[in-house]
Amino acid sequence: MNEEKRNILLVDDDPDFLEPVRMLLDAHGYKVESAHSEEGALKCLETFKPDLAILDLMMDHYDSGFIVGHKLKGRYPDAKVIIATGVTGETGYRFAADSEYGANWTGADLIMDKGIRPDQILREIKRLLGE
Amino acid sequence: MEQMIANGNMIPFEKGETVLTALKRAGIRVPTLCHIDCLPPVGACRICVVEDTATGQLIPSCSFPAAPGLSVATHSVKALKARKTIVELLLANHPDDCLYCDRNLNCDLQKLAEELGVRQRRISGERIAQFVDNSSPAIMRDPEKCILCGKCVRTCEEIQGVSALDFSGRGSKCKISTAFDQSLNLSTCVSCGQCVMACPTGALTERSSLREVMNALQDPKKTVVIQHAPAISVSLAEEFGLPAGSDIMGLMTAALKKIGFKAVFDTSFSADLTIMEEATELVERVTKKGVLPMITSCSPAWIKFAETFYPTVLPHLSTCKSPQQMLGAVIRHYWAGTQGIDKKAVYSVSAMPCTAKKFEAEREEMLVKGAPDIDAVLTTRELAKLIRMYSIELDKLEPAACDLPFGERSSAGKLFGASGGVMEAAIRTAHYLITGRELGNLVVAAVRSGVGLRETALTLNGLTLKAAVVSGLGNARKVLDEVAAGTSPYHFIEIMSCPGGCINGGGQPRGIDRENVKRRLAALYAIDAAATLRVSHKNRAVAELYEKFLGKPGGHTSHELLHTTYQARTDLL
Repeated sequence: MNEEKRNILLVDDDPDFLEPVRMLLDAHGYKVESAHSEEGALKCLETFKPDLAILDLMMDHYDSGFIVGHKLKGRYPDAKVIIATGVTGETGYRFAADSEYGANWTGADLIMDKGIRPDQILREIKRLLGE
Repeated sequence: MEQMIANGNMIPFEKGETVLTALKRAGIRVPTLCHIDCLPPVGACRICVVEDTATGQLIPSCSFPAAPGLSVATHSVKALKARKTIVELLLANHPDDCLYCDRNLNCDLQKLAEELGVRQRRISGERIAQFVDNSSPAIMRDPEKCILCGKCVRTCEEIQGVSALDFSGRGSKCKISTAFDQSLNLSTCVSCGQCVMACPTGALTERSSLREVMNALQDPKKTVVIQHAPAISVSLAEEFGLPAGSDIMGLMTAALKKIGFKAVFDTSFSADLTIMEEATELVERVTKKGVLPMITSCSPAWIKFAETFYPTVLPHLSTCKSPQQMLGAVIRHYWAGTQGIDKKAVYSVSAMPCTAKKFEAEREEMLVKGAPDIDAVLTTRELAKLIRMYSIELDKLEPAACDLPFGERSSAGKLFGASGGVMEAAIRTAHYLITGRELGNLVVAAVRSGVGLRETALTLNGLTLKAAVVSGLGNARKVLDEVAAGTSPYHFIEIMSCPGGCINGGGQPRGIDRENVKRRLAALYAIDAAATLRVSHKNRAVAELYEKFLGKPGGHTSHELLHTTYQARTDLL
C-alpha cells in the first residue's frame, strides 16, 4: 500500500453491496467516497477526485454506470473505472471492456459480474492502480 | 459367470452387476444421460430403459440388477419410443439456441435427439426465465440449459467432496442451485470443472477467455506469448478427431506460432523449476523441523479446497506457486528483459487442462506490483477452438519446437500431467540431492497405479521419507483429517484435485471417458520412457535461469517471484 491514501469513488444503489465494499476498502487503507445514485455520484465528482471508481450499472437509469464512467473519464482521464454489475443475471445482456472498442464505448477499464469476492475486488483495484 | 438374454442372445454378467454394464461388456450400447460410470446408479433420467420381454415392462438398465433368466430387448419399438418421448420432454422447455451454444455439435442431448429422430417440437413446456451466472472466473452456469440430470451435483459431492451445488425447489420449480442461491463465485465451488466434464448439455461451461486472447493478438502494442501444460499435448488431439493419447506437441506448437504467438513455451520447463524449489523447501522442512507433512501446491482447485474446508492445514502447503504461475512470473520479469520488451507489454497466455487455473491466475497473491503473472488462461477445449477459428489444419503443418529458454524440459516435468507425477519427479530429484546418485531406473511404480490414494516410502542415507499421492478431492479428506489432527504418518503428500490428475482435468475434452484418460496417461509414461533427460535437476535451462536471474533455489528472487501465500476463506459453508 502506498503511503498516501488512494481515492476510490464507490457508487451503488444497493446498500448490501455498497456498505460491505466500503468497509473492505476502508480497512485496506483507501479513502472512499460513496454515492447511491447517478445524480449523487456526479455531485460527488465536483469535489472529489478519485484514482479509481467502482460503479454499479443500473441505478437511476439503465445506463447510469456508463454515464458516470464517461463523465468521470472526461473530467479525470487518468482515473480507472470498474463497473460492477448484475446486468447479466438480471437481463441476460453481457458487456466487456477487454478491447479498446469495448473500453471506449463503456467508459470502463473493467466490467465485473456480481457477486464479487472481496479478494477479487482488491486484486482488480491493485492491478488497475499498479500497486 | 451367470448369463442373461439381450436381444435374443445369451450375455454373461457378474453377480451384483447392473443390466447396463452387462450390455456394455457385450458390446451393446444403450444411451444414458444421468449415469456416471464410477458412481452408484440413480436411474433419474430413464433414457437407458430397455424392455423386459417377459413382462413387456420398461426397466432402467443403469439401475436394474442383471439376473439369470432376465431377457431384455434394448431397441424394441417400445424402448425406442420411450427414449424419444423422454428426450422430447427434456426439450419441451429447453432453449432453441443450439447454434449459439458452447456445446453445439458436442452435446449429449443434441446427439440423442438426432439419434432418436426428434425432428419437431411435439411437446411445449413453460420456460422459467433464468439467467447466466457469469460471476466465477472459471465456470459459467446457464440454468436454462439444465436438464436436472444431477450429474454435476453428484460429481461435486460424491467425487470431489465439495457439495457446492444441489437441487433446490420442488416439482416444476426444481433447479440446481448453490447454497442460498448465491452466485457460483461466492459459493464453496473450487472451480475444478469436474461438473463441466459431467454436464451433458451447455448448462455448465468454462468461462471463456478466447475473446481477450484474440483482442491481445490483434493489439500491436502487446507481445503475446503462450505456455502449454504437460497434459495438453497428449489431450488436444482428441478435439481434432485423432486417437486419444496421441502426442501432438510439435503440431500444436506450430499451430500456435501460426496463430501469431510471439513465443511458445512449455510449462513442463517450470514443472522442473517447481521441483527444484519444492525439493529445496522439503529438505529445509525435514532438516530444520519445519511443518510436516508438506503438501504440494500445483493444483489450484485443491488450494481453494484447503482454504475453504481445511484452513488449519494451510501451513502444510508448499509455498511454491504452480508451474503456470512460476513460468508466467519469469516470462514477465526475466524473459521480457532479455528480449528488450517492456514487461508491461507482455500478454501472457497459458493453455491448461484446467478451469481452476483461470481462478488461480486472477488470485490477488499472483500480482507483482500490479502486474499479473498470467493474463489469460485457455482450457484444452478453448485452445482447440482457437486453432479452428484461425482455420489451421494440423495435418498440413510441419512440427515445430518450443521456444528457448523455456522450451527445454525433462520428462519428469512432463509427468506433472498425471497424478503421482509431481511425487515421482520430486523423488527422482530428492534421491539425487540427498545421495548424490540417480534413482535406479527412475520409475517409481508405487505412485503410478491408478487408485485415489497411493503410498510409498523412500529411505535415503538412513532417512525414511513417507509419501502419499491423492487424486480427486473426495479422496483427500481422509488424508487431510489426519494432517489436521496431527496424526499424519507422511512427510510429503501430493494432492491433485481431479481424479487421475491433469490428464482428467476440468478443461479437457468433454465427457468423462476413462479409456481416453488411460490412453493420455500411457502417452505421458511413454514420453518419459523414451526421453533422454528424465530428471528435473539436470535441466540445463533451469540451471541457467538460476545462474542468470534467480540465484539459488529458495533464494530471495525465487521467494519474491516463485512463492506465494494462502488465505483462509469465509465463503458460505
